[in-house]
Amino acid sequence: MAEFLGATVAIAPNDPEHLGFLQAAAAGRFVLQRCAECARLRYPIGNACPFCTALEWEWAEVSGKGTIYSYEAVMHPIHPSFRDQVPYAIVLVELDEQRGVPTEHDGLRVLSMLVDANDRPESLERVAIGLRVEVGFTPLGDGLALPRFHLSEEAPEHTPWSLGG
Amino acid sequence: MPGLKDKYAIVGIGMTEFSRNSGRTTRALGVEAVRAAMVDAGLGAGEVDGMLSYHGNDSTASPTIAGDLGIRLNFYMDCSGGGSSIEALIGIAMGVIEAGMCSTVAIFRAMNGFTEARIGGTGRQRPVFTGTSLEAGIHGMNSAAQSFAPSFMRHMFEYGTTSEQVAHVKMAHSHHASNNPRAYYKQRISVEDVLNSRWITKPLHLLDCCVETDNGVAIIVTSADRARNLRQRPAWIMGVAGRVNKEQPGGYHWSRGPISRVAGVYGAPIVFGQAGIGPQDVDVTGSYDAFTFTTMLQLEAYGFCKEGEGGDYVSSGIIELGGARPNNTSGGHLCEGYTHGIGHIVENVRQLRGLADDYCPNWAAGEHSYDYTEGGCRQVKDAEITMNLGWAMPATGSALIMHN
Repeated sequence: MAEFLGATVAIAPNDPEHLGFLQAAAAGRFVLQRCAECARLRYPIGNACPFCTALEWEWAEVSGKGTIYSYEAVMHPIHPSFRDQVPYAIVLVELDEQRGVPTEHDGLRVLSMLVDANDRPESLERVAIGLRVEVGFTPLGDGLALPRFHLSEEAPEHTPWSLGG
Repeated sequence: MPGLKDKYAIVGIGMTEFSRNSGRTTRALGVEAVRAAMVDAGLGAGEVDGMLSYHGNDSTASPTIAGDLGIRLNFYMDCSGGGSSIEALIGIAMGVIEAGMCSTVAIFRAMNGFTEARIGGTGRQRPVFTGTSLEAGIHGMNSAAQSFAPSFMRHMFEYGTTSEQVAHVKMAHSHHASNNPRAYYKQRISVEDVLNSRWITKPLHLLDCCVETDNGVAIIVTSADRARNLRQRPAWIMGVAGRVNKEQPGGYHWSRGPISRVAGVYGAPIVFGQAGIGPQDVDVTGSYDAFTFTTMLQLEAYGFCKEGEGGDYVSSGIIELGGARPNNTSGGHLCEGYTHGIGHIVENVRQLRGLADDYCPNWAAGEHSYDYTEGGCRQVKDAEITMNLGWAMPATGSALIMHN
């Protein structure tokens, strides 16, 4: 049984999409759905292409590199699994692939807790919009892993911005 | 877009008290609220034949509420949904009356929003991570505040919006609530009080978040011919939109577009088009205040200020009683109590009647002092056009314009 922070991770037998995503992560691959018709990538997981409606797709490995588009710093946990994780940052990462598609305001966005080299919540002092991040893989057991992002060694994409106070 | 301007009206309003210990079922709360709206309108059980409600599996269904009151329904529907449902349901009520399915519709929301089903989460259970929670919940995003916070953070980054600016929303609404005997929190709150309250999820302080309560609220919608013969001055419906979406692959509001641009940008042309007016014609707004910044983002989306200038708008004094266009004169969700939006409709109906139930001794006769100091008046002078801006999340919204 896969488990994470004391809670069960249960993939329904009729949910091959999430199963494939987490299985690929366990093999060290960060994969997204790629439309078989228009070849556009998509995330979050969906059952049709949001750009052309085609149903057929295949997994495509992507670089797992991106830039922090926005974030928050959670101090008050709701879900019991995160009571000993606070404070932690949730980042919205814009991946390097397919930026500015289909409009200049769009990109492939992935949510993640920002983690450190030990796969623990990253220090809040280090999170900022504009910083570069890379994906890593947190084992969940049962042949599954969760892609999560950490700060990369690369220079920031633009002057980093974070909320003071 | 053609609509049904002035063909339908809200003719009755009803509310229970706002508490954090109702000690009653949602059935009891719903029955009391619907009955209060019927009494307000002067309608008997035989004159209401439609019922709508919205819920998150935390309510009691229409047939039970109607049955308790001796109402026989020709139409009912109980919809799953939270914020922004009420404006959409008003549109549905107009539609089913127009279709000849019934003649007068009561719409209610009944919730033990503090003692039973807290929208912000109780943390009592440790849910399984499965399905779409593998994209958000498993990363620690498990409440409305946690879901919406990155939209506000991005707005701060792009436009220089500050915590202090949006804290003015709480300040204004608390001043309004201090003149609302029904409000759960009547204490006036300063901008500094908001900034000094603890972080829930940065950029949101505790006092940026609304007040979960137990309550029941109801309104009654009917057609113009019936509305003219009832007890109260009708609140005429000029336009309605909802539930309007922005693009949201995966069902996530953050997956497309600028994340601080909310669904109201698509609702605005629909609702203003039907009403034949623009934002400058609106006297009072009811912009959904689940959080301080949600009020701001919606006022931007509906064109009350330019995109990116919401921080200036909400901190300018315009949204305060005595300002050019007060917002949430009841105190709203931030202070009166959380109702999933229907309370904001009731308040605007009160404003249009000139019957805001404040501390003016003869408010019930429409006599108001227009003295907005603490413990005084909350009636807006000469309020003729009101607008409600409903919010479910950044990618889902609704709107309603009424006049007297």
